[in-house]
Amino acid sequence: MSSAIPVSVITGFLGSGKTTLLGNLLRDPALERTAVIINEFGAVGLDHLLVEASNEQILTLEGGCVCCTVRGDLVRTAGDLLARRAAGTITPFERIVIETTGLADPAPILHALMTDRAIADALRLESVIATVDAATGTATLEAHPESVKQAALADRIVVTKVDLADPEANGLAERLRELNPSAKRLTAVHGATDAALLFGGEHDPKPYDTAPAHRHGVNTFCLRRNQPLHAATLSLFLHVLAEHCGARLLRLKGLVDVLQTPGRPAVIHGVQHVFHPPAWLDAWPDEDRSTRIVVISQGLEAGWMQDLLEALDEEVKKCSIS
Amino acid sequence: MNNVPPSEDVDRLRRVLSGALRVWQVAGSVTADADEPRTFLIATDAGVRLAVHHEPARGWSIALQDPASGARMPIGTHAGLPGLLRSLRAELAPDAPSGRLIVAAA
Repeated sequence: MSSAIPVSVITGFLGSGKTTLLGNLLRDPALERTAVIINEFGAVGLDHLLVEASNEQILTLEGGCVCCTVRGDLVRTAGDLLARRAAGTITPFERIVIETTGLADPAPILHALMTDRAIADALRLESVIATVDAATGTATLEAHPESVKQAALADRIVVTKVDLADPEANGLAERLRELNPSAKRLTAVHGATDAALLFGGEHDPKPYDTAPAHRHGVNTFCLRRNQPLHAATLSLFLHVLAEHCGARLLRLKGLVDVLQTPGRPAVIHGVQHVFHPPAWLDAWPDEDRSTRIVVISQGLEAGWMQDLLEALDEEVKKCSIS
Repeated sequence: MNNVPPSEDVDRLRRVLSGALRVWQVAGSVTADADEPRTFLIATDAGVRLAVHHEPARGWSIALQDPASGARMPIGTHAGLPGLLRSLRAELAPDAPSGRLIVAAA
């Protein structure tokens, strides 16, 4: 197991309850040793906690993209935290939680955490948590593409304020299932939710059973394959997607039956063109032994991706034989 | 061994190429050449004509095709689909966004 410090990113649209959720989570004794990086100054008073404000001029939210400017400062702030932890000048935290601004595209933040040399070796992106307001979430998803992307990139979606509205009754729950079937869904009232379910990373195969859906320019589908895939095919496939689909590939997450590792499926996980190294499970998590790759994209075609995968595997097979 | 019938294989390759045009937002069509097996004709609305030939044992070749005479001028060969797609994008959609796979730290 990696000794890297787990990092969780809390995202969600303006007013969706990120800070309230964070405030509640940090009162949980299990999260006592948590460092927090907040993009907005003064967002919440966390007097018993180790708070680092991401110190930069990103607060003019009307100014458009804030995520491009946050990246450098986030890396510096995280790097400084790590240095102070190593020097023993702060409480040795065991986890970092980053709260993004409500208008932020989380992808560049995730990319920084996954790839920046200054921090990527010491930190491990564990989860992306998106808050969605039960009462206003549907309208927000309709009106604000940023909120769609925030929910699409999440591992966990917390529907907040369920005391005010029933997300099953008003269609929000179904909308979120369509948008991101692989995310675990929780609810919160006044920010209270089960912290244990928000962190950690057990592998649940159920989300890979997803029906195709397409709304608001974001479509979700699952590629399936019953034959094992050559390891080289998987690599080529991801390269081609990253090269040609890039930003339109919001999220890809899959269980892959790799020919060279029978009985040990690979877990693949990417955000746009940035992927985690494959993780190899010791065994399949359920009876289904087929490759399942869930894709959340902006307009990419399931049929094209399936054809591409098959065509690449045919080429690799021919190379392997000759 | 899971051998795919040639016709299905060819049609799948045609679909891969036509889907790539849509990914690059290039208006056009991809058809299988009726006269030359495993050759695909790409015609864009902007007037570009390319002939792409697939030889399973050798890979892919691309030729520019003169719309009037049908004469073909070879412009490149590729061992596999990734190189072919990269080259086609350079020819047909040089301004289309392109990226590079980045694998995060373990």
